[in-house]
Amino acid sequence: MESSNRLLLLAATLGACFALSGCQTIKGWFGKDDAEQQQTEDQAAAEEEAEDADSTPPRVIEPNVARRKIKTPKIDNENWEVGLGAGFLSIEDFGTNPTYAGQITYHVTEDFFFRGDLGQSTAGRTSFETLAGDIELLTGDERRFTYYSLSLGYNFLPGEVFLGRDTAMNSSFYVLGGIGSVDFAGDQRLTLNFGAGFRVLPTDWLAIHIAVQDRVFDTDLLGETKVTNNIEMVLSTTVFF
Amino acid sequence: MEPSITTTRSRRLRRINLAFAIVFACSLSATALAKETEAEKAAKEAAAQEKLLQVFVNEPYLELATGPGRGYPVFHVVERESSVDVLYRRTDWFKVRDERGVEGWARARDMRRTRLADGSPFVFNLGDRDGFTSHRWEIGIGGGDYGGANLLNVYGAYSLTDNMKVDVTVSNFLGNASNGWKAEAGLTHVIVPEWRISPFLELGTGVVYIEPRATIVLPEDRTDQTAYVGAGLRMYLTRRFFVRADYRWHTIFTSRDDNEELEEWKVLIACFF
Repeated sequence: MESSNRLLLLAATLGACFALSGCQTIKGWFGKDDAEQQQTEDQAAAEEEAEDADSTPPRVIEPNVARRKIKTPKIDNENWEVGLGAGFLSIEDFGTNPTYAGQITYHVTEDFFFRGDLGQSTAGRTSFETLAGDIELLTGDERRFTYYSLSLGYNFLPGEVFLGRDTAMNSSFYVLGGIGSVDFAGDQRLTLNFGAGFRVLPTDWLAIHIAVQDRVFDTDLLGETKVTNNIEMVLSTTVFF
Repeated sequence: MEPSITTTRSRRLRRINLAFAIVFACSLSATALAKETEAEKAAKEAAAQEKLLQVFVNEPYLELATGPGRGYPVFHVVERESSVDVLYRRTDWFKVRDERGVEGWARARDMRRTRLADGSPFVFNLGDRDGFTSHRWEIGIGGGDYGGANLLNVYGAYSLTDNMKVDVTVSNFLGNASNGWKAEAGLTHVIVPEWRISPFLELGTGVVYIEPRATIVLPEDRTDQTAYVGAGLRMYLTRRFFVRADYRWHTIFTSRDDNEELEEWKVLIACFF
């Protein structure tokens, strides 16, 4: 009897042990334990954050998608045109002589442009000097005819010229006028200039010009003061940049 | 005497012919060069492709003309949604290349309606009234009077802000007593840049080179320092043009006991870009 009692007691103890351990697992069945654990972890994290709060700002969620940054490249402006040319200049009373010129143009719109011209020629002999023999009206330096002008030009009659069947080149006729000065016969004079030109572009950056301009100024070189017309024709090559 | 005339003439003719020959040669060689480098240019451009701005056509089509001007014929159209690369700009025209490699000129007004790769509109300086208020550079030419002498001017200015500009003026004056040159640099303050007619104040310094006329007995050529204060008006005309008129009061710091004082007024036609 005693042994059966002892056996029963043992079985009860064992049963209680299992049952209680089972209860331990039951706690976790409803997630209560996890929640508690979470809570304690959160508290710890909060405490940590509170500690760190002084040193770093609160973390902001950064989007994974980086915005594409489009860098717009700079567009090249090609409104300047610069070139050199040669031709002839008819200096009133001093014959027609070769002239060498440089030009710079700024195209403001498709119609209008500013242009600067700089050129040099050497005056010949007047018919009086030629007929009279040894008389020289001007010294060598004074015969140098240096001029510049600042003009406003207008492109009109734009079009194309055709070279054979396959080549078409852009072209334009233009008129221009402006003011400038001429250094001639030891004196500098104010000039007015006006003229017209024709421009052909074999490519978009290269142009060939032929232009005729009249440079008008007053002179008293041959006695009385008079207005002189000095007509110039120049063939030039220019490049756009 | 007779032979000397013919030799002078023939020499002159020869020189004229030579000059023409040189220019023709230059033109031809430049044209040949242009053809030769076309292939190189294409290769270089292909390499630089990433650097070109790409825009997308947002209208039904984009017209391409053969040249940068309204007279040149339209030879190609680029359809909606396709892209063009912007090669460069000349006045109000853009040289572009489409996806098939066709190159042509598109007008600024049409390019204004295209979009960038991110969908934003393609914005650029159109050269209008807003541009007059706010721009980077300006240049101009004009004339006037400098102490009684005729004055020729060319000037350029760079805008630090819409109000403040740094300008450089080179002038040539032609008077009865003397001729000369001057170069000046200064600051211009445009009081209200938004106005169509806007006043400005200016202050600057420079050098003046005075060369007395041969017929008048005066001290020899001289170079002096000069300073000025002035005021003027700028008036917007149309497109990229404006008129700039100003009055400057100069003091020339001569080597003599007295400084010289001169008045200058001038009117310039100018453009901004």
